[in-house]
Amino acid sequence: MNLSNMAFEGLFAYNTLVVMIGTAAVGFAAGMVGSLGVLRKRALVSDAAAHVTLAGVATVFALTGKRDLPVLLAGALCAAIVGVAVLVFLKRFTRTRDDAVTAIVLSVGFGAGIAIVAGMTARGVPGSAGLEHFLLGHTAALTSGDAALLAIVSVVSVSVVAMLFKEVSLIAFDQSFAAATGWPVAFLDYLLVVLVAVMVVVGLPAAGAVLVTALVVIPPVAARQWTDRLVVMLMVAGLIGMVSAVGGVALSAIVPRLATGPVIVLFAAVIFFVSCLVAPKRGLLARVARSLRSQGIADEHG
Amino acid sequence: MTASAAPPLIEFHDVTAAYGRRPVLWNVDLTISEPCLFGVVGPNGAGKSTLLKAALGLVPLVGGNVRLFGEPLRNVRKRVGYVPQRETVDWDFPVSVMDVVLMGTYSQVGWFRWPGRRERQLAKDCLERVGLADLARRQIGRLSGGQQQRVFLARALAQQADIYLLDEPMAGVDARSQEQILHVLSELRNAGKLVIVVHHDLRTVREWFDAVALIDRRLVAAGATHETLSRENVQRTYSGVVDILDEVGHAVERRSRTS
Repeated sequence: MNLSNMAFEGLFAYNTLVVMIGTAAVGFAAGMVGSLGVLRKRALVSDAAAHVTLAGVATVFALTGKRDLPVLLAGALCAAIVGVAVLVFLKRFTRTRDDAVTAIVLSVGFGAGIAIVAGMTARGVPGSAGLEHFLLGHTAALTSGDAALLAIVSVVSVSVVAMLFKEVSLIAFDQSFAAATGWPVAFLDYLLVVLVAVMVVVGLPAAGAVLVTALVVIPPVAARQWTDRLVVMLMVAGLIGMVSAVGGVALSAIVPRLATGPVIVLFAAVIFFVSCLVAPKRGLLARVARSLRSQGIADEHG
Repeated sequence: MTASAAPPLIEFHDVTAAYGRRPVLWNVDLTISEPCLFGVVGPNGAGKSTLLKAALGLVPLVGGNVRLFGEPLRNVRKRVGYVPQRETVDWDFPVSVMDVVLMGTYSQVGWFRWPGRRERQLAKDCLERVGLADLARRQIGRLSGGQQQRVFLARALAQQADIYLLDEPMAGVDARSQEQILHVLSELRNAGKLVIVVHHDLRTVREWFDAVALIDRRLVAAGATHETLSRENVQRTYSGVVDILDEVGHAVERRSRTS
């Protein structure tokens, strides 16, 4: 009783509420941007970028010794973009296949990140232990200033998507038609990848480098089950991302020592699973019902 | 021709194109001056699609150049309509038939803005012309192959172009859809447009197309269909492997006529 009282006080503390609002914005933006990324078949690229961010966070910390979130996230974004650039470069000049190149960038970037963090912790660099929070996500330590930053970046990203929705969805659907009608496909493609990378980076504090991809990939795939319309899919994906993010933050605020990322992923996974099961047209149950019905008709005529 | 005569609609000058180090088109020289229904014919891997892509600037040229209306492509891009091969897109994409056709108006609409009432009306008219007006709201994955090809055709119509380039618009299409597509293409020709179609069925080429180019990495022959599509030229294009099915088709046709 006493414990749960404490938990609820913790949950409704001012700071927790602000962090929850910030994370909600991140979840919404990640679902929305992620929808276009997934439709452009960039899910694995986002995972590689996510793992590489750890190297960026660790490097910036090693160089500056500061643990200010904006600085660390700037490092994460640089690392993500360098990672994607390396990926594109390797693909073009080594003639290695997509999936192999993606796996290489992901593991090397992540390995480098872990090595730098371990090196600093071993030397007892003050504050370096806190970097582990970027592995699995940890929102309890966020300040309301941090949360505001995350929210602002999310709002800006959503605005860019809203402005360029027509252009980006065109290249996602039909690249050759877009190019033939004069749209700068390469530029729009980079823009989309950068947007996804930004989402991965702002998702980092909540979900961590290992799990943040889930925030960009699972809500869109779940949302696709419910609708055949792109705009609706983006909105539903945003809502699912938001619910998962808020759920993760709330639960990890109540349960001591529970990292935020895993809870967010589990929330998203449950929504995904339910969507695949009960969605009206594409859901498993609906399809089973349809095939039973058509069998029934076949029997009547047989 | 006098100096004041309009420039040719499309000119390929010594066009050579390659993917990596593998050349797919060699020194193709081809000029089309009059609006017509023009077929591009040749075996698989002969570079037919690449010829269209060269005209659209979608493949880098190793040599030569393409001019449309006497100008480089960038000046006249909005006057060129395109139907890519159907397999190049993901038909499970969450868009409706109407959404896809509206994409044809995007380059007119321009950056940041949305298609308005006028564009929606245009898209509706284009769907009407290909006989899909009643399926406007359907998701594109829930269409037959022929209907999907007609959606792509409607999207090209919405571009309101003067030259249309179509890559296998009748591949995997039922007879009714094929007839409908050929009718729309003939209408375009009659309205003074140049319609260039990559196509593989020599029989429909003979029946419907005004002119034809036979391609096997290089240009084998080009000109009016009845002169160009000779047995000898076809044989040269397909390297001696005559399109057996086509021959069988003709034999059957002759027999059914005599009996």
